[in-house]
Amino acid sequence: MIELALSPAVRTALAELLLTMADDEFVSGFTDSEWTGIAPLLEEDVAISSISQDELGHARALYQLLAGVLADGRDEDAIAYDREPDAFRHARLLDHARGDWADTIARRFLYELADEARLASIGDGYPPLADLVGKLQREERYHRMHLVAWIERLAHGGPESRGRLEAALAAVGPDASSVFTPLAGEQALVEARILTRPVAAAEAAWRADLTGILVPLGLQVPHAAAPSAEGRTGHSESFRWLWGEFTLVRRSEDGATW
Amino acid sequence: MTDPLALDPVLPVRQRSERPWNDDLPHDERYAHFEAHVTAGGKIEATDWMPDEYRTAVLRFVEMHANSELMGVLPEREWIMRAPTLRRKLALTAKVQDEVGHAQLLYRVAEDLGKPRETMLDDLIAGKTKFHNVFHYPTKSWGDVGIIAWLVDAAAIVAQQALRDSSYAPYARTMQKICWEESVHIMHGRDVVVTLMTGTDSQRALVQEALDRWWGPLMQMHGPRGDRARDRDLHWRIKAKTSEELRQEFLTIYVPRLLELGLVIPDPSLRLDEATKTWSYTEPDWDELRSVVTGHGPKSQERLEFRRLNREDTRWVRDTILTPAPAAAV
Amino acid sequence: MAELEAYEVFQQAKDGDPMRHGGNVLAPDPELALHYAREMYSRRNESTRLWVVRRADIQVLEDPDLLDPPLDRSFKKPGGYVMRDKLAAARERAGTEKPAARATGHDRTGGRRRTQS
Repeated sequence: MIELALSPAVRTALAELLLTMADDEFVSGFTDSEWTGIAPLLEEDVAISSISQDELGHARALYQLLAGVLADGRDEDAIAYDREPDAFRHARLLDHARGDWADTIARRFLYELADEARLASIGDGYPPLADLVGKLQREERYHRMHLVAWIERLAHGGPESRGRLEAALAAVGPDASSVFTPLAGEQALVEARILTRPVAAAEAAWRADLTGILVPLGLQVPHAAAPSAEGRTGHSESFRWLWGEFTLVRRSEDGATW
Repeated sequence: MTDPLALDPVLPVRQRSERPWNDDLPHDERYAHFEAHVTAGGKIEATDWMPDEYRTAVLRFVEMHANSELMGVLPEREWIMRAPTLRRKLALTAKVQDEVGHAQLLYRVAEDLGKPRETMLDDLIAGKTKFHNVFHYPTKSWGDVGIIAWLVDAAAIVAQQALRDSSYAPYARTMQKICWEESVHIMHGRDVVVTLMTGTDSQRALVQEALDRWWGPLMQMHGPRGDRARDRDLHWRIKAKTSEELRQEFLTIYVPRLLELGLVIPDPSLRLDEATKTWSYTEPDWDELRSVVTGHGPKSQERLEFRRLNREDTRWVRDTILTPAPAAAV
Repeated sequence: MAELEAYEVFQQAKDGDPMRHGGNVLAPDPELALHYAREMYSRRNESTRLWVVRRADIQVLEDPDLLDPPLDRSFKKPGGYVMRDKLAAARERAGTEKPAARATGHDRTGGRRRTQS
């Protein structure tokens, strides 16, 4: 790992950014891995499982970067698993449970496009992150293709599918912007060219993208929520349940190798 | 003058690739041609004429295999959520994904034999068709995850390798692809087990306890010994080895590998006869096997019910995408 | 109501390799067929290219009268021209010896019968 000269302020801000990105990928990958074996169609089962695995792989890579930045002796598994639920910094959007197929498609669609806008905001100020983001973007292209294909099919599929999709978008809509929760160290990141634009600008790009897809389909774009500092804290019951599951084996034997 | 002999056929006369059972002949003649072809090692494709007995036998065989892959997902998917490291989570998700993929491949083979997928799923849920015994049992710990991925997949691959030369070519080709993918699962499973066996005392105990529970079902998995001469699936070369041959092969490869880790195999009568290279063992409980595969296993009904509910919950999605989409709004 | 349709998938393992039939997927339309083909036949990065074709669009030829007509056609194949004995006779007539090292010609008449490929 190259020792790059990061000022304490930038280091802290970068760690915060990496944690939010990694936690987002981790929780979304986890939630949707629940579809493995029970998706609506066998072929689709394999597809959604690949997307979940991609997210978990991205999370792993991001936690590894974070471990390097924090340099506090923890590896990526320790960072991912050895925390209480309230220490997680994923967006509230991802606190929503898996739900039915429409819920998953709505949530994933909003998240994938948000992630795309976020990745497009990463500059070259911290080269290891810039390199990783280049790879992530290439993998995420398929996610966008696949999710848009489903949004279209559900929108055009008749009253039942359209109704479920609309309800799903409405249910997660209020939390949709939580991916763009302001970061405390945003200013420092922009100055260090780790971010090319403030988070609010990424949100605007995301809205434009969403509008371009949802409006022609006759679907509502989620309302622009006022930026809340709480978009990544105070996690839901369903996340706490998820946390209980994914830490179960690990907590059974402190410090063991699995 | 051109030597007429220069143009003599110097190659052996090639058998025309004739498929006389496909010709418009009386049934008995078609049957005889078909049987001669298959018993001599010939291959059959989905578009060939088949005697009803053959078609039914292949379909039953493939359908049970497909059902097993689909049901086999359920014991393992709980542990995807609980995998204790990122890498294990990825590996387990990928493994279960492969099993779903295998179900897809196998249901496709069965569909091309004439049975629609929805009908096969209806029959599975209604208990009219079967799936392998091992998928009717509960999983209790991370130890099970390792033991299943290693030994259940190993027992399956022993059977699947013997199917790579099946007379029914679409099935044989699918087996080749499946065997290639399964080999990775076995490595993942063995890695989980070996990691636990080099860990704490309670981790080692997890593995032994899991092995104690899984050994019986594993020994039953390939089925009771049968009479080679009366086995129709062997006659039609749908499969190539008997149940006992598969079980012996499994024991020969895996008993030493279990013992080398310091695990105790919970069968005091298990012994290799050095002269005949044959394993003797406590007779598996064939009543248990029969009871389990007819839906009376500890988890049979719960898992079928889970499948039924899941299918109902997702029905609207299938109904949606099978309706032709109207032209997109301009 | 439309059925799911079968799409055949052909894969190319690496650049320059021939396309090989891998299997097939069921899909409601060509776009999802492409996604599913990618999932079923390229999860392990085992393909550099996929062709995904509706089974209904494939023409199948398996008529032996067309593919394997019965009269001799050995004059179309390398194995139909075995000259070892005639060459020996020609050398004897010319009083020559068999050349020591032969540069590989383009006619593949080394005298070995070629097996059917």
